[in-house]
Amino acid sequence: MERTTSILPVFAALFPMVMTFAIYYVQKESPKLRNNLSVLTSIITFISVAAMYPIIAEGKIIVFELFEVLPDMGVVGTFRVDVLSFCLALVASFVWMLATIFSVDYMSHEHAQNRYYPTLIFTLGACIGIFVVGDLFSFFIFFELMSVISYVLVVHEESVEALKAGYKYIVMTIIGGLSLLLGVINTYEISGSVSLDQIGLITEPSGLALATFIAFLIGFGMKAGMFPLHVWLPDAHPVAPAPASALLSGVMLKTGAYGLIRVFYNVFTPEFLQETGWITIVTVLAVITILLGSAVALTQYDLKRRLAYSSIGQMGYILLGLSLFTHTALVGAVFHIFSHAFMKGCLFLCAGAIIVKTGQRDIRELSGIGLKMPVTMIAFTTAALAMIGIPPLNGFLSKWNLALGSLEAGAPVFVIVLLISSLLNGLYYLPIIISAFFGTEAQEKKFTFDEVPFKMLMPITILALLCLVFGVSPINLPFNLSKMVADMLLGGGI
Amino acid sequence: MTTAMNIIQGHSPALIVVTFLLFSYLMPVLDSWKKNWCATLAIAAHVLALFFTGILAWQVFTTGTVTYHMGNWPPPWGIEFVIDYLAIFMLTTITVVSLLILIFATKDLGHELKAQVSSWYYTLYLLLVGAMIGLAITNDFFNMFVFMEIAAISACGIIAIKEDKECVEASFKYLILSAVGTGCVLLSVAMLYMVTGHLNFTFAAEALVPALELYPNNILVALALFSAGFIVKAALFPLHVWLPDAHSSAPSPSSAILSGLVIKIYAYAYLKLLLKVFPGDIFSMVPIYDMILILASLSIFFGSLFAIVQEDIKRMLAFSSIAQIGYVFLGIGLANQAGLTGGILHIFNHALMKAMLFLSAGAIIYCTGIRNIDQLKGIGAKMPLVMGVFAVGAMSMVGIPTTNGFISKLYLALGTLDAGKPFYLGVILVSSFLNVIYYFPIVINAFFGEPGEEPENDIPVKKLPLEMSIPLVILAAGILFFGIFPRHMLILVERAVAIF
Repeated sequence: MERTTSILPVFAALFPMVMTFAIYYVQKESPKLRNNLSVLTSIITFISVAAMYPIIAEGKIIVFELFEVLPDMGVVGTFRVDVLSFCLALVASFVWMLATIFSVDYMSHEHAQNRYYPTLIFTLGACIGIFVVGDLFSFFIFFELMSVISYVLVVHEESVEALKAGYKYIVMTIIGGLSLLLGVINTYEISGSVSLDQIGLITEPSGLALATFIAFLIGFGMKAGMFPLHVWLPDAHPVAPAPASALLSGVMLKTGAYGLIRVFYNVFTPEFLQETGWITIVTVLAVITILLGSAVALTQYDLKRRLAYSSIGQMGYILLGLSLFTHTALVGAVFHIFSHAFMKGCLFLCAGAIIVKTGQRDIRELSGIGLKMPVTMIAFTTAALAMIGIPPLNGFLSKWNLALGSLEAGAPVFVIVLLISSLLNGLYYLPIIISAFFGTEAQEKKFTFDEVPFKMLMPITILALLCLVFGVSPINLPFNLSKMVADMLLGGGI
Repeated sequence: MTTAMNIIQGHSPALIVVTFLLFSYLMPVLDSWKKNWCATLAIAAHVLALFFTGILAWQVFTTGTVTYHMGNWPPPWGIEFVIDYLAIFMLTTITVVSLLILIFATKDLGHELKAQVSSWYYTLYLLLVGAMIGLAITNDFFNMFVFMEIAAISACGIIAIKEDKECVEASFKYLILSAVGTGCVLLSVAMLYMVTGHLNFTFAAEALVPALELYPNNILVALALFSAGFIVKAALFPLHVWLPDAHSSAPSPSSAILSGLVIKIYAYAYLKLLLKVFPGDIFSMVPIYDMILILASLSIFFGSLFAIVQEDIKRMLAFSSIAQIGYVFLGIGLANQAGLTGGILHIFNHALMKAMLFLSAGAIIYCTGIRNIDQLKGIGAKMPLVMGVFAVGAMSMVGIPTTNGFISKLYLALGTLDAGKPFYLGVILVSSFLNVIYYFPIVINAFFGEPGEEPENDIPVKKLPLEMSIPLVILAAGILFFGIFPRHMLILVERAVAIF
């Protein structure tokens, strides 16, 4: 593919990091300025990512070399944006922007905001950095930065529970990071290159190659919440403040999925993984992840915990789609990255809104909430229905493609898995909705409108609308991008 | 003026050592006359040394290796100083880090020492630094031994100067073990002299090649004694027993220089002897590299394991030093380009990190008097700067990217694979994880932990003087800088490695 140079990816990754310091210093002057600056930074980041669209749409790849990090090793601080990187960066910066806007009112009652905003914006830079770099070393660097810094978001509450979950998170993150480092070093040792600009760095099956594959799988699987490495996720995601939960579940999990795509399609090749049969490990784990995430979600009564388990199940879809290596399944998986970011972002923000208004996290206590907070709950309903996969919402589109892809791959058993999981999704989302609108208390109570402020409603509404729009609209940007990604990855056009 | 410049340029290898010795003997004189000049003069000595280092570095970079003959006596009779890239690397590390520690010490000493001994501290400190510089550039066995003894005695001095029971006991322990170490080295020097008739490294190396066939046992024993001697001095497991006591009880600046620089200089001297003096054939007779690798791995493991159970923050840092010196020896044991690069780079990186961590521990003790890790909960809010740099140091210890610790670990890891010994890659990765277990809880508790309700936790926090905060900030900035832009340091180290 044609290459072109642009400073935009460098800007998108480093601008938030630089602004972190500005945000840190203005907060002494005025908290209002700090909030506005944070929101502004996230908006500019989104714009600078979106500005890459014309180049990407032409089918070009943006390459930019910043400076040589390690001499004589051919490792340079390269930035490289192809359509896959663009998709991820776009959805990440978009959801981040909305979550930052949501934070302004949500966090106004919380303590330690002076820590929250710089961390939030710095993590944004690191997260975008993961998607736009062009070699595994830089990838690893941003990946670790994001994982370690987001610890501060996880333990924001500083409660005993949060610290416990945070400790689990940081330990697992470090294990994952070390494993990832092992993978990167092995790759360098085998192929002498860590560039993402070529396909098939490893094409010879050997013990070291298998070790590399497993190391990557552990490193990224940890982040993506893949069974059996998901144990940190249900603890860490619910304890964070709602916008941070939305980002952890909606965006940061996807870095793991993105890493796995790169591993499957750049470091190894689909043919190689199929011939050696190593990909079966991923497929099996993905199926277990789907079923386990959905099943355990049923038993949770804490709203955010239920959402967190649901994230595990949804990440399973993405992993399944990646591991099947058919065009349709890949489209489904990539599209599900978009869909899940919108759905889960919306759901976690709704949960945040509910917590702000009622202080209630227990699902059984939410009866009749729909009459009090109609906008939030309608958005929640939309996203939840999308989660179940009801047409014409975007969740349906991704599941449809995943199911078709499974059939293409000659494995109808995965269709059954998808159906079971959808059923389970229905079982744990629908009762919330039903009791919210038609619960016993709803019949007694009168209609009292008590909604959260506009700055919180706006992100929720936008995300819910996108769930609908990207399900029905004939001009479906994420879907077209997903198709481009699949064309590129399976067509060998890297 | 030009003559003066010529003298400085021509004699800077000697002048750099002489500066430290001269200034250190000035201190007791000044002590009875102008007491408050001592600190300034000690800093001036360092600045002068930095200046000479700069000249030497410029000479080495423009004209290559600089050799200097003491008193114009050419080797093999006279003492020779050789300054190559590796020596420049060590000189820079020593002068820069010790200057920063000294600036910190000027405020901290008043708090830790009795007033009448504080100027003597500078005497010992300058002697120690001068001896280390001598060790870094000398090319002569006996000269090396003399500098080792000076370093050992002055190191004992800066531990025992606090004059409490713990310190005296620790320094006594150190004195005995280091005497055993230097004794081994002296014996080994004698044996090499016996078979070669030379004390100069270069000449001895030449004479050793034929001598190896004639007297293999002599040379093997000499190698064994050298190894034992340097391993004691560098505190590699299982001969590390003196280190935790000595480094934790000493005044904080002493701990910082002992852990940050002194143990490294012996690793460096050992590396130089192994690769430059002993003939290559000897390594086929005895698997010394494998032994080093095993000892290094044990050091890495046990250092970290002991560190996990410590309650005193300085003791924990001391055990962590044992683990970290293991990395340096791991690099030596791998004996290939990438491994050596990683090991040598770790000398510099660890000097920055450990000096900074000890100084920040010193700052915590200075401000609050707390040494116990459990009591550090919530201290981050009271001392954001100190705990902030501590967090940077902790991340560097673990090897989080963008800190310099990551770069040296990366090269070590590449070295293990190049050498075809993936087992040691596992050692590196597991030890990184062990580092998390004892460093991160401190940082986490400091920033996010709730301090207990007992009144004893409500200790008034003294303000940190500028002289103490500046070195901390510079060291932390260095850690980040060399983590993000490691290129120039790596080029220097790779040139240094290329001489082997």
